[in-house]
Order: sequence, then structure tokens, then C-alpha cells
Amino acid sequence: MANAPINPTDVGTPPVEQPVNKVTIGDVSDRREPPAEIDAVIEVEDVSVYYGAYEAVRGVNLQIGYNEITALIGPSGCGKSTVLRCFNRMNDLVVGARVKGRITYHGNDLYRADIDPIEVRRRIGMVFQKPNPFPKSIYDNIAYGPRVNGLKTKNMDDLVEQALTRAALWDEVKDKLKESALALSGGQQQRLCIARTIAVQPEVILMDEPCSALDPIATARIEDLMHELARDFTIIIVTHNMQQAARVSDRTAFFTAEVDDKGERHGRLVEFDRTSQIFTNPNDKRTEDYITGRFG
Amino acid sequence: MAREGFHSQLGAVLGALVDMTGTAGEAIERATMALLDADLDAADEVATLNTRLDDARRVVEEQTYELLARQQPVAADLRALVSAIRIGIDIDRMGSLANHIAKVARRRHPAHAVPADLVPRFREMGIVARRVAESAGAVLAEPDAANAARLDVDDDTMDTLHRRLFRVVLGDWEHGVEAAIDVVLLGRYYERFADHAVAIAETVVYLVTGELPDERADHLG
Repeated sequence: MANAPINPTDVGTPPVEQPVNKVTIGDVSDRREPPAEIDAVIEVEDVSVYYGAYEAVRGVNLQIGYNEITALIGPSGCGKSTVLRCFNRMNDLVVGARVKGRITYHGNDLYRADIDPIEVRRRIGMVFQKPNPFPKSIYDNIAYGPRVNGLKTKNMDDLVEQALTRAALWDEVKDKLKESALALSGGQQQRLCIARTIAVQPEVILMDEPCSALDPIATARIEDLMHELARDFTIIIVTHNMQQAARVSDRTAFFTAEVDDKGERHGRLVEFDRTSQIFTNPNDKRTEDYITGRFG
Repeated sequence: MAREGFHSQLGAVLGALVDMTGTAGEAIERATMALLDADLDAADEVATLNTRLDDARRVVEEQTYELLARQQPVAADLRALVSAIRIGIDIDRMGSLANHIAKVARRRHPAHAVPADLVPRFREMGIVARRVAESAGAVLAEPDAANAARLDVDDDTMDTLHRRLFRVVLGDWEHGVEAAIDVVLLGRYYERFADHAVAIAETVVYLVTGELPDERADHLG
């Protein structure tokens, strides 16, 4: 595989589907505990990210597991969003942004010169903190991506319905698909953005504080949705709400912000482990201080 | 309903505890058989059941801690998880007590640990103990007043049997010191077994109503 001629738009094929490990008590439990060994879709090796001369985050080593939910947590300025934006090369759009180290997607270097970033962003989609539906109808919001990407589909109606169903929004909007997406509530808009992302059939979904702008009930609905989506997608979520990371994720990466002697903040990965471990018995005192609220 | 995953995990924890009360009931039944029939095989079975209870309790406790850490439970959910830890401990003790009874039988084997004229009393204690284990499971599965009341009645019965045992030992006792000690200890084991079942019911009251259980009256021997 490593030596085969590589089509610039081919960033790798998904692996054979792995069975989800289940921990059972008695007969009833739909808990997923991730396997000890990570079936990695994305690997991050010794990565630092610079904006010009400024080192925003350093020492990042982690693996994103297939069909798992990985959370990046930490205080402001710790680099978690910077790292997230490396996965779909959004940092390319920032002048002077530079990645040192290696980020691979299915074993292929994501930053190789001949990789098409647009194709990367189709395979690795993103949902943002503030819902950002297009000023179009609900239908057109979903259809836009497939149309623009030239995805062949016999029936756009079916594709739109499927995307909205998978985003747990179909029932609420099926009778008003031609209405403006901007008329939806915040929680609905965010689910629309998720539907829009999955309409182009990504493999990975990046979520940058997807619930920060939402009320607790809308947040709970999206968290439930994430569990369902993780059956079919690999999800990476940045959240400043560590309880959300505890509820939702399989693995958690904790970043901290260090202040150097010039008073500048630099982010650093401190610990990366199964979420159950991080929140019951973390290895690093800095992790424990942060999650127990003793930080600062 | 949101948080379905969490609530089904919570249900699984409570379901596991109900199963464990069943195992404790089996254990006390085998222990009584081991005791009254001087049956070594039954004694071995009790040891196995007790180990199973220890392992089950560990799994339940780990799962409970993880749910507490990861799900930020409040109100009834929090009470359920705190109760699960308490109830796990009570069931664990019930298993251990059954094992103590079986060990007495093993130690005195091939002799019978219980003198013939006391067998009916211990048989009854065994029956009551089996019943309280079942009732504890029933209360956990279906917290209602009827199930809880049944437990109270059986607990009183057990206390009475236990008290009468003391009178017999302190009366015209012709079976020697070793037998006296064993009979007293055995009576205590059965009485404590029932007490732990009652404790489970009290914890269930807390789980349902949010009120902490009253201090249990110290039962004098």
C-alpha cells in the first residue's frame, strides 16, 4: 500500500469495519468501551503548530480511533482548536501557519504537496461553534455540498432526507424543506449543519465546540446524536466543557497552556487516554487539577 | 428520552444487583444444606457462589464509579448510584456470611455442627434467610410498600429465632463448649444475613424518597 502510485485525491481507503467492544453487566448494557489498541484513522506524531515564529502548540502525539469519539479538552490557549484545524487543513487558510511533525490519514501524510485540501475537507468535515447555515432553504443547505462536489445521485430528495434523518432533524423539518434555514432554532440549525456535513459522506467529522451556543436540552440532543453518528463516522470534538467530554467521548486528550518567561502562552499535550481512565484516575497531576477544577 | 445510553447503563447496574441478591439467596440455601446435612459439596458450592458475588460486586462498583465520574448524575440518578454502592456492600456481606456458615460445616465435618434437637430451628432460619434474600431482590426490582413490609416481618421472625437460640444455649446445654460456640456464631450469621437484607430495603427507601434511612435499632442478642 505504501509503495503504490498515489492519486493526489486518494487519501486512503477506510479499513474493514471493526466490531464495537461491549462491556456487559448482566445482559443489558449498550456501553462502548474502546479497545486498548487504537485502530487509528489519523495519527499525529511529534506535532507542533506555528503561526509565524510563535509556537502555538507542541508535543502532540495521539491517534484518532476509527468510529470512536475523541475529545480534545483544556483551558484557553492550550492549542486544542489549533490541532483540530490541522486535521482538515483549515490552518492552511491562516497566513504563516505551519505544521512541524507528521499527521497521517490512513497512513498517508496529510500535508504532502500533492494532497488536495478540498478533497481532504470533504472526507474530514467540520461543524463549528456557531451554527452557520447558508441563507438558503433547508433543502438547499443539504443539497449544496453534494451538488458542488459533483456527487452523482439519482435522487437528491432521498439524499437530503437521509442526511436530515441521520442528523435527527427530519421529523421536525420534513414539512418545511423549502423554508429558510435561518428560521430554525439554534439547536435545529446546528443539527442542520451536521446534516449538511454528512451529506457529502465524510469519514471523519470534526466538531469545534458544537454545543457552546446551545441550551442544555439542545446540547443533550446533540450528544445523543453523536453517539449514533459514531456508528458510522469517526468524530473528534473540541470542547471547553469537560463534563461533555466525560459524557460523550471514548478517548480524551488533555492539553494545557504553559506561560514562558516572556509571558507567552504555548499549548502542550499533557495526557491522552481512554476517557474512563482520564476521569476516574488520570496519570498526570495537571490533568487531575484541571478536571477537578483546581486548575488556576 | 435524552441520555438513553446513561439510563440504560444505570438500569443495568440495578439489574445486576437484583441478580446478585438471587445469588446470595442460593448461597444461604446451600449453606443451610451444608450445615444440616454435613454436606461438603454444598459447602464448596457456597464458596464458589461467594466468589461469584465478590467478582460481580467489583464489576458493579467499577461501573458505578465510572458513571459517577462521567455522567454528573443528580437527584434520583445520583441517589441510585450511591445506593448501588451501599447495596453492593450489603449483598457482598450476605455472601460472606453464607460462606462463614458453610465453613463451620466444613470444619466440623463429618460430624454435624448443629445438634439434632436444634436442627428444626436452623432449618427455619435457613428458610427465612432465603426469603429475605428474595425479598431484597424484589424490593430492588419493584420498590413498593408490600415488598418492604414482607422483609420487616421476616426480620422480626429471624430476631426472635435468634433470641430463642441464646436461651437454649444458656439453659440446660449438654452438647459441650465447642458446639455452644458454633451454635451461637451460626445464629449470629443468620441474623446478620437478614439484617443486611433489611439494610438493602432501607437504602431503596432512600433511593425512592431521598430520605436517609433511620438508625437501625441495635438488636440485642
